Amino acid sequence: MIHFERFTLPNGLRVIFHKDITTPMAVVNTLYDIGARDEDPSRTGFAHLFEHLMFGGSVNIPNFDGPLQKAGGQNNAFTSNDMTNYYDIIPAENLETALWLESDRMLSLAFTEKSLEVQRSVVIEEFKQRYLNQPYGDMWLEFRPLAYEKHPYRWSTIGKDISHIEEATMAEVKDFFHRYYHPANAILCISGNFEFDYIKELVLKWYGDIPGRDVPKRALPQEPDQRAYKEKTIERDVPSDAFYLGFKMPGRNEPHYHAADLLSDILGRGKSSRLYKKLKKEKEIVSEINAYILGSFDTGLLMISGKTADGVSTEDIEPIIHEIIDELKTKPIEETELEKIVNKVKTTNVFSEQGILPKSIGLSMHELLGDANGINRETAKYEKITPQEIQEQAKQVLAKTNCSRLTIKATTNG
Amino acid sequence: MDRTTAPYIQPIKTLNILPPTSHKLPNDGELFHLSAVEDEAVKIDLIFDAGSSKHQKLISRLTGELLFSGTPSQSSDQLHESIDHLGGFTNVEISDEEAVVSVLGLRENMIPLIKLVLDAIYAAQLETREVNQLIASKKQQFQIAMEKVSTLARREFLSHIFPDSSYGQLTHLVDFENIERDDLVAFHQTHYIKGLQKIAVVGNLNDQEIKHIIEATEKFDRKTVQPTSQAFNYIPEEIDVSKTGAVQSAIRIGRILFNKQHEDFIDFNVLNMILGGYFGSRLMTSIREEKGYTYGIGSGFAQLKDTGYFFISTEVGEQYKDATIAAVKTEVERLQNELVSQEELDLVRNYITGQLLKNADGPFAQMDRFLSVHKHGKDLSYYNEVLTALNRITPDRIRDLAQQYLNWDAFVIVKAG
Repeated sequence: MIHFERFTLPNGLRVIFHKDITTPMAVVNTLYDIGARDEDPSRTGFAHLFEHLMFGGSVNIPNFDGPLQKAGGQNNAFTSNDMTNYYDIIPAENLETALWLESDRMLSLAFTEKSLEVQRSVVIEEFKQRYLNQPYGDMWLEFRPLAYEKHPYRWSTIGKDISHIEEATMAEVKDFFHRYYHPANAILCISGNFEFDYIKELVLKWYGDIPGRDVPKRALPQEPDQRAYKEKTIERDVPSDAFYLGFKMPGRNEPHYHAADLLSDILGRGKSSRLYKKLKKEKEIVSEINAYILGSFDTGLLMISGKTADGVSTEDIEPIIHEIIDELKTKPIEETELEKIVNKVKTTNVFSEQGILPKSIGLSMHELLGDANGINRETAKYEKITPQEIQEQAKQVLAKTNCSRLTIKATTNG
Repeated sequence: MDRTTAPYIQPIKTLNILPPTSHKLPNDGELFHLSAVEDEAVKIDLIFDAGSSKHQKLISRLTGELLFSGTPSQSSDQLHESIDHLGGFTNVEISDEEAVVSVLGLRENMIPLIKLVLDAIYAAQLETREVNQLIASKKQQFQIAMEKVSTLARREFLSHIFPDSSYGQLTHLVDFENIERDDLVAFHQTHYIKGLQKIAVVGNLNDQEIKHIIEATEKFDRKTVQPTSQAFNYIPEEIDVSKTGAVQSAIRIGRILFNKQHEDFIDFNVLNMILGGYFGSRLMTSIREEKGYTYGIGSGFAQLKDTGYFFISTEVGEQYKDATIAAVKTEVERLQNELVSQEELDLVRNYITGQLLKNADGPFAQMDRFLSVHKHGKDLSYYNEVLTALNRITPDRIRDLAQQYLNWDAFVIVKAG
């Protein structure tokens, strides 16, 4: 159980405080309700580029990192399709330094041409390092537009195309900031060994005078129900063939999300999972196989991915995957198998709450989903799932018409 | 309100790392226990003398991955089924010096889980079919890794700074064809069954439970690890590895130095931090934040049992390759020729202190801190030595260390791309 207190400032900033008396550190986590899904289709990769620009100095403080490091702190950030999250970890005595820095960049950025120019270049190198210069690195760049036709999940956080980053202008940067970076569009979570009144006082001091703006209305094009199987094959200079099957599944806050999550565990989490035992151990037709979900807020994906064993073709593998899927549709799973999967989820959840940083990020994310206390209800949601619900989800989610498949064929043999 | 003035920064004075309790294992090894976990989480590390420098690298790595491949009474599938049913997670990490089998679970299942794991490791059969399956997938992973410029640069770098030592030994594709099951069985015998060195337990377990864990190790023997006295000689040179179609080049620059036991270790770490050890370092500032050549660049100081090596590593756009190396050289030489400002030194000092505090936050982190010094024959007082050294270090000392250890002519320089 993670205890916390909550309050909202008049400017709309939602604040969560988690008291942890065991740690000498403090965490300041700031989550902005802006992800790659909110981008203009002709300006993709912007939320992520913007994350980089948030370190280029703010209106009153020329350098973000230096003062934080000087106070013994460190920080980082990440952008997903659904949100952008910034965190600082700092010795508790110096909490105020982090609040000073974070509140100033929420107030306004320095917007220097130099910072934009350099970060464009850094992001282009990131694009190359992570997506272009790795075997199978461009897989998501190919898979997303295959699986999604309307929803902005059809592009990755890095963007559809490098040119979108290259062409970003200062006017667009300022506009983006104005629209998404303000108290009413943010969640601030502070954790550490403090008193609640002290935190309230400090938050009011540093954030109280930041003007509130209207929360941008989100009206994303939703993905229509998929009615037909989709496939695409590409060739790449990689050592072996790889396959990726993606099935549309409920979004993070929708009914049956947790059942679909368990379904992916049954299929392909770890070495006692059904796909692993059948395809890798028994038939020896894959060298690796996994199933997992992306955890998206809107309609998400349950993924099955793997690489073929030498001399095996991807065409031979898919029928066997569908056999295993059919078994899940026709026969409810045994209670013992369900118990096994839930036991693993319980361990995972307990370990994901070790340390104030994961707790702070988890509280913020659940608050964005509607209620920070959701973090304390997760395990119970998994425990309530029945074999019947799993079977029902297998029928819904794992329908072949609900599947998109990408194959990467190796052009060379290593 | 004045937003231009930074809040007052409080110096960090104390660092409290709880020492674990120590218990003897039947084989004379040691079990360390930290119990200050608030919830049900338990992590147990089994540390074996089975690192990849003990034998041919591939033999050690494959054996490590075969520990849960089945016993006379349980197939690999059944074994994983049992571990999973107890909500357990296992992970095997092979470093140069040791193999660490980590077991994660909840308190209620931990005793049956650890017994299961210890029995599985002890009685691992290494059946031919399991061995062949593993070789096939490892071979494929190897081929994939060899497509990465970062792998190519790292390999070339290690083989050049360690030309005569097992640390620099490279695995080649053909090695996968020549694996004999007998070698794996022999390695398992010597380095696992007779190689259990230490156990680290973090979790709210009582004395009785600790006793159960200790008893469960009864069958394991422990050969004393033989001290080696290798000399580490290398020839500084520049190496180009070509990779067709690469849009970025990986760069590695560095040399052999020393490890934690050396008198200059703590101070050199401060120098390393200034050059490339954190986000605000000179290398990050110059090559990422000013020039935009890379997504990231950093320097590190790898610790081995008998020595250590310093390295700078990055991946940059093809067109920035030479400019990057020139800029790195400039930054290294600035440290040799100019004194760092008191302000920069203060920043790094505080940053390192904060990092120490963070890296010792919570029982899991504290056990890691304990093990990382214990490995080199030191105790937790080492961290107070670091704090003392940090307060003592001067700009002159930083420059002297740079002059002594960071000569450009002493570096191996690898470009792959």
